Amino acid sequence: MSLTGTSLKPQSRWTVARREIGRALLAAAIALVVTFVVVLLTSKEPLEAFGTLLTAPASKIRTIGLWIDDAAKLTVTGLAFSLVFQARQFSMGVQGQVYVGALAASYVALSPIGATWLGLPLGIICAMIAGGIYGFIPGLAKAKLGANEIVSSLMLNYIAIDLCNYLVRVSLVPPGSGLLTTDPFPVTSVFPALVKNTRIDVGTIFALVAVFVVWFALYRTSWGLKLRLVGHNARFAEYAGIKSSFIMVSAMTAAGALGGLLGSMFVQGQSYAKLTVLFEGNLAFEGILVAIVARSRPAAVPFVALAYGYLRQGAQLMNIRTDVPAEVIGVVTAIIILLVSSTFSLPGKAWLMKLLRGNTTVPSGTSVAGSAPK
Amino acid sequence: MPLIEAIGIGKVYPGGVVANNGVDLSVAAGEVHAVVGENGAGKSTLMKILFGAERPDAGTLMLDGKPVHFAGPKDAIDAGIGMVFQHFSLVPSFSVYENVVLGSEPHNSIRFDRAKAIEEVRQLSERFRLKVDPLPAVRNLPVGQQQRVEILKALYRNARILILDEPTAVLAPQEVEELFVAIRSLVAQGRTVIFIAHKLPEVLEISGTITVMRQGKTVGRVKASDVTEHSLATMMVGREVTLKVDRAPTAKERPVCEVSALHIVNARGNDVVRDMNLSVRPGEIVGLVGVEGNGQAEVLEAIAGLRSVAGGEIVVANENIVPLSVLERRARGIAGIPEDRLAEGLATGASVAENLVATRLRDHRFVRRGLLDLKSIRANAQKLIGQFDIRVSGPGAAVGTLSGGNMQKVVVARELAEQPKLLLVSQPTRGVDLNATQFIWKTIAGARDAGAAVLLSSADLSELLALSDRLLVFYRGKIVAAFLNQEGLTPETLGTYMLGLAEQGFDEMQAGLA
Repeated sequence: MSLTGTSLKPQSRWTVARREIGRALLAAAIALVVTFVVVLLTSKEPLEAFGTLLTAPASKIRTIGLWIDDAAKLTVTGLAFSLVFQARQFSMGVQGQVYVGALAASYVALSPIGATWLGLPLGIICAMIAGGIYGFIPGLAKAKLGANEIVSSLMLNYIAIDLCNYLVRVSLVPPGSGLLTTDPFPVTSVFPALVKNTRIDVGTIFALVAVFVVWFALYRTSWGLKLRLVGHNARFAEYAGIKSSFIMVSAMTAAGALGGLLGSMFVQGQSYAKLTVLFEGNLAFEGILVAIVARSRPAAVPFVALAYGYLRQGAQLMNIRTDVPAEVIGVVTAIIILLVSSTFSLPGKAWLMKLLRGNTTVPSGTSVAGSAPK
Repeated sequence: MPLIEAIGIGKVYPGGVVANNGVDLSVAAGEVHAVVGENGAGKSTLMKILFGAERPDAGTLMLDGKPVHFAGPKDAIDAGIGMVFQHFSLVPSFSVYENVVLGSEPHNSIRFDRAKAIEEVRQLSERFRLKVDPLPAVRNLPVGQQQRVEILKALYRNARILILDEPTAVLAPQEVEELFVAIRSLVAQGRTVIFIAHKLPEVLEISGTITVMRQGKTVGRVKASDVTEHSLATMMVGREVTLKVDRAPTAKERPVCEVSALHIVNARGNDVVRDMNLSVRPGEIVGLVGVEGNGQAEVLEAIAGLRSVAGGEIVVANENIVPLSVLERRARGIAGIPEDRLAEGLATGASVAENLVATRLRDHRFVRRGLLDLKSIRANAQKLIGQFDIRVSGPGAAVGTLSGGNMQKVVVARELAEQPKLLLVSQPTRGVDLNATQFIWKTIAGARDAGAAVLLSSADLSELLALSDRLLVFYRGKIVAAFLNQEGLTPETLGTYMLGLAEQGFDEMQAGLA
C-alpha cells in the first residue's frame, strides 16, 4: 500500500490512489452527516449554521486567506508526523517542537539581528535547529535508554509549552506591561505577504517546498528507502545491515526540524508577527489526523490539509457567527480519525451492499454479501 | 453414515482470496482421515471451518447427519470437536494440568479442586497413551510433550473428533512414532482423528482415508492402501514432480568458514551454544540437524552478525568476523536466507524492487551520493524476477501480495543475486509449495556447485538428507554427532541423536567433522 514512487506500475498506483481517495471522501461524507445531526441537535437555526460551516471559509478573500494559512501549517505538521510514522516511530512531539522553534525565532527577531535582512532566514534556521534538537531528544532516549517515544515526546511538549509561557511572562514582554505577547517583530523578520490583506505569506511556499523535500527524501534517497524499510519491518532492516537506531533518531530529528519550521511560520508569519502564549491553538496535534488520512504520504498531505483546513476554518466561523459551539468540530475530527484509522472498507462495504440489496439474506450467509470476490 | 461431513464449502477471505471453493469432506467415525495438499490448498481454512473458527460463505456442515452451524469454536467444542493448532495456545508458566483444565476446572464448592484435576489429567494421559507428567510448568517441556498437552486439552473437553493441524512438523522421528501410537490408541477407543499433513510417508502410515485438496478444491478421496507416495504427490500438485537434486562430489579445499569454541548466551542468561566447533568448505553443504531450539538457529544468527557472541571465534576467509557489523560481513560474501521470511527476510509493505536491493544500499549501481538510481533498481528487479521465476505483476508490487513460495523466491533471489562465499540457510522451504521447493533446492545446490560454502538448517529431515554433503546433529547447544551423507543414513539414525538418546564418541565424530 505504500506509494513507493520508485516503481509502482501506473495502473496499480492509480488503483491504490483511487481506493484511498474514495476512503477519505467517504470518511468526510460520513463525518459531515454526523456533524449535521449534531448541529441539528444543538442549534436553533441548523440550516444556517451548517451552511456557514460549508460555505463561510470560501466566501471572502480574508477567510480564504485564513483557510490557506491554516492549510499550509497543517501541511507542515502533517509532513512531520508522516515522516516519523513512515519509520514507525510514534513521536508526538511536533507541538513541543513548534514552541521551541517559535522561541528560537522570537529571540532572533527581537535581537538586534532581527532588524536586519538576516532576521528572516536566521529566524527560520534557528527555529529548525531548535526543533530538530527537540525531536532528537526522544529519539536518543529511545535508542540509548529504551524510553518509549510516545511518552517522552508528550512530556517534552508540556515542558516546551510551559517554558514558552514562562519566558514570555518574565523576559520577553516589556516589564510591567502585563501583556502576554511580545512587541511586534521588526518587518525584516516577518514573512512577506503573498496576497495583500490576507494571511497568505511566504510560509505557504515553505510548506510546498517542504512537501517536495520530504517526498524526495523518502522516495529518492537511500536514507528514505532505509527509513521506510525500518518502518515496514525493523527486524528485516537489521538483518539487511541497516542501522535502524540511526534511522529512527534521524527521522525524529528531521521531523523535529519541520516542527521548528512550523513554529517560525507561526510567529514570523502574517498571522502573528510576534510571540504570544499558547499561540498554536492545538493545530500542531491535528497533523496526526492529516498524516493518518494521507496515509503518511507526503504528496497527499497538502490535499488533505486543504480539505481538513477548510472544515476547521468553517467550524471556527460557525462558532463565531452562529450558536453552534466549536466543540462540534471536535466531534467531526474524532469521527474522521475513527473512520480513517480503522480499515473500515470491509464492514463499510458489507453494510452498503446489504443496504443496496435489501436486507433479505439468510442467517448463515449474512457475511457473504460484502466479502464476495469482485 | 459419515460422522462429520462438509459439502460444497466455500470461503473467501476479505481481499478476495478464495481459500475454499467447493470443498467436500466426509469422515467416518473411528478412522484416521488425512487431509493433504500443498500450502495454500485450503486445508487450514477447511479445518478452521470445521472447528467454528471461521464461518463458511457457502456449503453445509453435517454432524451425525444433521446440519450444524458453529458460531464459534465454543459451539464446536460443545459438539465434541477438538483442534490442535500448529501454534500451540498454552500458558507457558502454568503447569500441565492447569493448562488442560483451564476454563473448565473441577470445583470443590467454589474452590479449584487441584487434586481432582491432577488425577483426571493423569488418568486421561494413561488411557490414551499420551505420557506426560501433570505437574511441571509447560514452558519446561519439549515441543512434543507440549503437543500432548494440547491433545489432552481437547480430550478433557470430551472431543469425539480431534483435528490435528500438521502435528508432525515440529517433531523428531521418534516423537512422530509416539504421536502415532497415541493416535492409534485414540482411534481404538472410538475417537475420530482428522490429520493434516505435508509429509506423505507419514500420511500413508497413519491414515485410513485421504482427502486430497488442490487450489481450494477437493480433488480426490482415496484409501491409503490404494495409493503410493508418488501417485499422491501427483494428485496434490496436478502433475508429475521429482524432488531430487543431483550433487556433484566435493573437492577437499580449505574451509571458508571456521567456527571455534563458539559460546552464545540468550537474553535470559542461559547458554544456548557451548564450545561449538565446526567448519565448512567451499562447494559443500553442511546440514545442521536438530529439533528446533537446540542452537542451530543461534549459530547461524551469530555468523550472520544478528546475535552477539559471548566467546569464541568465527573465521571467514582468514579473518575473525566477530567484531564486524552485518553490512561488513555481507561485504565479505556472507549471505543468508533467514528462518522466518515474514519476520526477518522481507519488508512486506515495500515493493519487490525495494526488497531486492535492501541489502545492497552501499552498492554504487543502486545508490550514488545517497540518491537512489531508480532505473537500475527496477532493472535489477526485472532481471531477478525473470531469473528466479518470481510470479508477480511487476517490480513495483508489494511483496505482501505474493504467495509464500514467491515471497521466498524474492529472498533467495536477493541473497543469491551475487554468488556468495558463505551462504547461511534456515528453513528454506517452510510453508512453500512443491514447485517452489524444487526450485529453491536447485538454486541452493547451484550456489554450492559454483563454490559457495553452505550451512543449512531445517526442520525437515528429508530436505537435509536431500541437500547436505555432511550432517551435524545439534542437541542442547552442542554437536553430538557428525555424518557424511552417504547411502544408508536414515532419519531414524539422526533422530536418535537429535533426541539426545545417544552421542558419538570423539573418533566416531571426526569422520563427519572434517
